[in-house]
Amino acid sequence: MKNPPSLDQLIAALKVLPGVGPKSAQRMAFHLLQRDQAGALKLARAIGQALENLQHCERCNTFSETALCNLCADASRRQDQLCVVEMPADLMTMEQAQCFEGLYFVLMGRVSPMDGIGPRDVHLDRLLNRALDGQVEEVILATNFTAEGELTANMITELLRSRGLRVSRIARGMPVGGEVEYVDLGTLAQSLYERRTLSE
Amino acid sequence: MSQPGKVDRQPGYVLHTQAYRETSLLVDVLTRDHGRLVLVARGARRPKAELRGVLLPFHPLLLAWFGKGEVRTLHSADWQGGLPQLSGRPLLCGFYFNELLMRLTAREDPLPALYPLYGEALQGLAGAADLGSVVRRFEMGLVRALGYSPLLSQDAAGRPIEPARHYFCRPGEAPDADAPPAAVRGVWLSGATLQALADDDYTLASTQREARSLTRLLLAELLDGTPLMTPRLLEAGAGALSLTTGWPKAADPSTE
Ligand SMILES: [Zn+2]
Repeated sequence: MKNPPSLDQLIAALKVLPGVGPKSAQRMAFHLLQRDQAGALKLARAIGQALENLQHCERCNTFSETALCNLCADASRRQDQLCVVEMPADLMTMEQAQCFEGLYFVLMGRVSPMDGIGPRDVHLDRLLNRALDGQVEEVILATNFTAEGELTANMITELLRSRGLRVSRIARGMPVGGEVEYVDLGTLAQSLYERRTLSE
Repeated sequence: MSQPGKVDRQPGYVLHTQAYRETSLLVDVLTRDHGRLVLVARGARRPKAELRGVLLPFHPLLLAWFGKGEVRTLHSADWQGGLPQLSGRPLLCGFYFNELLMRLTAREDPLPALYPLYGEALQGLAGAADLGSVVRRFEMGLVRALGYSPLLSQDAAGRPIEPARHYFCRPGEAPDADAPPAAVRGVWLSGATLQALADDDYTLASTQREARSLTRLLLAELLDGTPLMTPRLLEAGAGALSLTTGWPKAADPSTE
């Protein structure tokens, strides 16, 4: 017994989602068609609208419905600091932390040689243009502290330092409020390797 | 505990991780006694998962897993410590080693020389030792472990290697001092370099340079025409990024 073609097409389409194999795609398709047709219609419309309306902000590369996103269009933000993050979710989290008044650049990924993701795939060419606008003085690297995030930070550093920009990296170490007894060992070890001298 | 295929407290390193299902990770590891294998780390991508800070490449771990088939289930991973996080060019060399291991070793083929070779190479990267010699020693050790090194003890005619002579070297063959000058698909190396390679001594710049031409040839043959990604990450010399293509031009990750 074969599935009707449009059901097979839906299942195949759902498999583009990360972590979704044939089994879960089939389960999702049955759920949408059988249990939640209204939800399915909403999903279809939302995908269509997002595809039609969303673009990448021409300055920071994050998703935006306008050529310039709200943040980049906000003249009250500091123009001399640029914070580089991997994903839009990282930007949102930085904003929630309310610690940074400058602007952002969103790579939409990280350099990962083992997965074939190179510097151009994470828009380092666009970052270079953005950072050289004449107003940016410091570029703050807030990529993840994974091996790939660190490699990405290294590559950006090499790229920007030779252009005379100040490049800094967010600090790594003990979490705020963290207790030595309970922190994970890798974090503790690295916080010792990266300890800092306290001034008088 | 009598879970099928249970292995406990096995020293190993993470070579590569990739997202798997909603919250898990697929982890390629190099282990001391079981070679390279793939483990699934359940729940390792949950925000507060303890494994997050542990399943990092370039760090010695103690691993326990169970199960049968291609993908086993990680039971625990314990931090062994001793190495700071790699950064800069040593980090890129670390990725290069991992890519070589992923490409050139078969799963579950325990090559006993590999684990200590890799561990010493990581120590070298972390310890600010001369990167060129660290990379050459690892490449030669890997090629040797795979049975692909030229013989280094005597030449094709059964004579001892003489430092002042030059030898034509081919994978898996004895160096040939009498090869025609136009011989192809091999490299000419000095006897002095062959002796240094046999002694695993990379202190001389000439050894590093000649070893590089040899490992480049051997690795190109082993990789069978599909180039690695990592060596293309940096342009030779300046180290500036090439942004005209997806990947910068070919270069050696150890080049200063
Ligand atoms: Zn923007």
